[in-house]
Amino acid sequence: MDTLGYLGQGFGVALTPYNLITALSGTLIGTVVGLLPGLGPINGVALLIPIAFALGLPPESALILLAAVYLGCEYGGRISSILLNIPGEASTVMTALDGYPMARQGMAGVALSLSAWSSFIGALIATCGMVMFAPLLAKWAIAFGPAEYFVLMVFAIVCLGGMAGDRPLKTFVAALIGLFLSSIGIDANSGVYRFTGDNIHLADGIQFVVLVLGLFSISEILLLLEKTHRGQEAVKATGRMMFNVKEASSVFFVNIRCGLMGFIMGVLPGAGATLASAVTYMAEKRIAGASGKFGQGDMRGLAAPETAIGAAACGALVPMLTLGVPGSGTTAVMIGALSLYNITPGPLLFQQQPDIVWGLIASLFVANIMLVILNIPMIRIFTRILAVPNWALVPVIAIITGIGVYAVHATTFDLFLMVGIGIFGYILRKLDFPLSPILLGFILGGLMEQNLRRALSISNGGLEILWSSPITLGMWVGTAFMLVFPLIRIWRKRSRQRRALADV
Amino acid sequence: MVIQRIFAVVLLLVCIGLAMMAWPYQAPFSYEPVGPRAFPLLMLALMGISLLYMAIRPTPIVHSEEEPALDRPTLIKIGICTVLLLVFAGLFEPLGFVLSSILVGIPMARLYGGRWLPSVVIITLMSIALYVLFDKVMDVPLPLGLLDVLEN
Repeated sequence: MDTLGYLGQGFGVALTPYNLITALSGTLIGTVVGLLPGLGPINGVALLIPIAFALGLPPESALILLAAVYLGCEYGGRISSILLNIPGEASTVMTALDGYPMARQGMAGVALSLSAWSSFIGALIATCGMVMFAPLLAKWAIAFGPAEYFVLMVFAIVCLGGMAGDRPLKTFVAALIGLFLSSIGIDANSGVYRFTGDNIHLADGIQFVVLVLGLFSISEILLLLEKTHRGQEAVKATGRMMFNVKEASSVFFVNIRCGLMGFIMGVLPGAGATLASAVTYMAEKRIAGASGKFGQGDMRGLAAPETAIGAAACGALVPMLTLGVPGSGTTAVMIGALSLYNITPGPLLFQQQPDIVWGLIASLFVANIMLVILNIPMIRIFTRILAVPNWALVPVIAIITGIGVYAVHATTFDLFLMVGIGIFGYILRKLDFPLSPILLGFILGGLMEQNLRRALSISNGGLEILWSSPITLGMWVGTAFMLVFPLIRIWRKRSRQRRALADV
Repeated sequence: MVIQRIFAVVLLLVCIGLAMMAWPYQAPFSYEPVGPRAFPLLMLALMGISLLYMAIRPTPIVHSEEEPALDRPTLIKIGICTVLLLVFAGLFEPLGFVLSSILVGIPMARLYGGRWLPSVVIITLMSIALYVLFDKVMDVPLPLGLLDVLEN
C-alpha cells in the first residue's frame, strides 16, 4: 500500500501554505475566466502557462495552479449556465437543463452549491479510481515499446472521431490538421527544415500557446461580434446558499453512479466530459422514470451531469499522467505546460517525480473543497461580473491574449501567426469543425512521428513490428471497432430517416 | 453546402501544395529507415482523402438555434476586427504595449457597441493597469516603445 504513502506525500506538497495560496488564487482566477464569455478552460489554462513560467513557479506549483484554474473555469461555466441559461461550453449544456429552472424557482444558491458538491464527489470518486488504477497502468505501460505507443496514439485519434457523434469525418480532419501542424519546424532526427518557408521564426515549430490562443480566443472574439445583443438578465441568487443534508442525500446515489460512469468515460481517450455529462443525464432520466421532473428543475438532473463532468475531468488525467497521451483539449494544454518545464508525462513520471503527480492529485481535492466553500461568500460578486458588457470585455480579452502570446518568445511574428490561426479557426468553427481535436493532434503528432520512426528503426524498416505483439494487435482490434462504430450508427440513423420518410 | 465544398477544395489544394513542398525533404545522411518526409506526407494523404470525400458529399451544418445568419454588416465588422488585430500585432513593438492597446482597444470597444467616452476611459485605464500588472508585478516583459522616455 505504498500508494497511500505517496498520496500522503502528495497532500504534504499540496498543503504547504505556498501551494494552498496558489490553489486559492487559481480557483478564483479560473472562476472569473470561466464566467466571462469568450474564455473557457482551454484558453484560460493556456493563458496562464507563460505567466506561471514568468513568475518562476516551481513545476509542481505551476501544475497545481493550472489544475485549480481548470476546475475554477468549470465552476465559472456552471454559474453562467445556471444563472443565465447560457452554457459556456459543450459540457455544461446538460447543467443548464435543470439548473436554470432551479434558479428560476429561487433556488439559485442551492443549485450552485449542490453542483459544486456533486462535482466534488465526482472528482473524489475519480481520484480514488486514479489512486487505484494509475500506478497499475503506469507499471503496465513500461512494457510499451515505440510500436505500442504509436498504435496507442492511432487508437486515441480514431477514438476521437468515433466518439464525436454526428461528425466523425470533420473530427478526423481536424485531428489530421493538428498532426500535420506538429511537423512544421526543424526535424529533430535529420535537421531538415520542414514547411518553414525559410522563416526563422517557424524553425522552432508553431508555439503551442500561440496555436491554442489563436484557435480559441481569437476565433471566439470574432464569433462574439455576431452576437451584439446582450443575453437575458441573470437570475438573482438570493435566499439559501447551501444545500441541506436532505437534498444532498437525495442525490447521493446519483452521485455515486454518475461518478463511476464519468470516470470510465474520462479515461477513454476522446470521450471526455461532454459525452459523459450527456450520457449520465439521459441514463438518470431513464432511471427516474415518471417520478422525475427532469427539465423542470430536478435536483438529480443537475447532480448527474455535474458529477460526471467532475469525474471525467479527473479521469482524463489518468492517460495523460500514465501514458503521456492526453484525452481532452485541456489535458493537451497541460501536457504543453509540462513540456515547458521539460517534464515528459509517461510511466516513468510516477517513479521519477512522485511529488508532481501526487501533489497534483491531492491539489485536485483541495481545489474542489475550496470551490464549495468559496460559493457561499463570493457568489454575489461572481454574479456581478456577469453584468460586464461585451464592449468593455472583448478588447481586454484581446489585449490579454496578445500579452500571453508575446510572453512566450517576445516576437511580433507570433502575434501575426495568432491572428492568422484565429481566422482559420473562425472559418473552421463556422463550418462546424470541432477545434479541440486540432490541439490533441498537435500534441500527439510529435510523439507519434518519433515513435513510428523509432519502431521502424528497431525493425530496420519492416512494418510488421506495428502488429507483431499482442498489445498492438489488441489495440488494432479496438481501432477497427472504433472506425466501424460511427459508420454503423450513421447507417442506422440514415435508414431510420429513410423509413420515416417512407411512412409519410 | 457550397461554402463547405469550396473550403474542402481549397484545403485540398493547400494539401497538394504542401505535399509538393515536402517531396524533396530528404536527410543528407541517415541512420534510420524512415526519413523526415514520410510522416507529413502520410498525414497530408489521409487529409486529402477525407477532404475529397467532403467535397463530394458535404455534411449539413447544424446551426444552434439562436445563431443569426451571417449578413453583410456582420462580415464587415469581422473584417474590421481582423484588421484591428493585425494592426495591434504590427504596432505592438514600435509603439509599445500601452499605446498600441489604447489605439486598437478603443475602436474595438466601439465595434462591440460601446459609447465613446466610456470606451476611451475604460480602455485607457485597463491598458495602463494591465501593463503594471504584467510587466511590474508578474515579470512578463512588455515593450514600452514610444513611452521609453518616461522610464528614466
